[in-house]
Amino acid sequence: MARRILIIDDEDDIREVAAMSLETVAGWEVMVANSGAQGLARAATYKPDAILLDVMMPGMDGPTTFRELRKNPATAKIPVLFLTAKVQATDRRRFADLGIEAVLVKPFDPMTLSIQIAGALGWA
Amino acid sequence: MGLSRLPMEMAQQSALHEAMNRLWAQYLPQIEERVATLEAAGRSLMDGTLTAEQSERASAAAHNLAGVLGTFGLAEGTTLAREAEAFYCIGPPIEPTVNARMVEVAVRLRALIATRK
Repeated sequence: MARRILIIDDEDDIREVAAMSLETVAGWEVMVANSGAQGLARAATYKPDAILLDVMMPGMDGPTTFRELRKNPATAKIPVLFLTAKVQATDRRRFADLGIEAVLVKPFDPMTLSIQIAGALGWA
Repeated sequence: MGLSRLPMEMAQQSALHEAMNRLWAQYLPQIEERVATLEAAGRSLMDGTLTAEQSERASAAAHNLAGVLGTFGLAEGTTLAREAEAFYCIGPPIEPTVNARMVEVAVRLRALIATRK
């Protein structure tokens, strides 16, 4: 079954590699957004099965975007995974406290990114 | 079943490899620009003129490189970039040997990205 994923990341190289990886390896449908604000709008209209969200973004950062997603009934139930180069234990605890599904680390392996997402979300 | 999956996985790997090479070529100028930011910051460190703004730019460039280089198979690049990010996010220089190390990191990053075709 083709999953629908929204990737929100301000870094266009990372965004494009992740999108290409999920499309090529898993055959998923991918939509992208280059900012938290654009991500909120696209999540509400596109209704993805999951959102891959960068943590450090200018303007609206990942945690703020996540809180806004949860406030909107149209996006409140969409699983969100952080994709971040911040890997310290304190950051992980802070992210877990927010209520996100999982934290995936940059750099990632493009061959196994979809497996990591599926595993974190319990997708068969 | 295992055997029938094998050609599909090989085809996926080949398609992925090809796409990664295309994206590397596409984003190489951007990656080189970020390394140039670290090189400039290193020069400023050595002559004692690094500004807070320049340090912030270097930290952001290093943060991006840490995420992207390993994704393109340059794991050492991620390690080096993380070292630079940790240094520049703290701010101004500490001691000459540490400053010299940041110059080395930038030089090594420049050499490393030249090795990926």
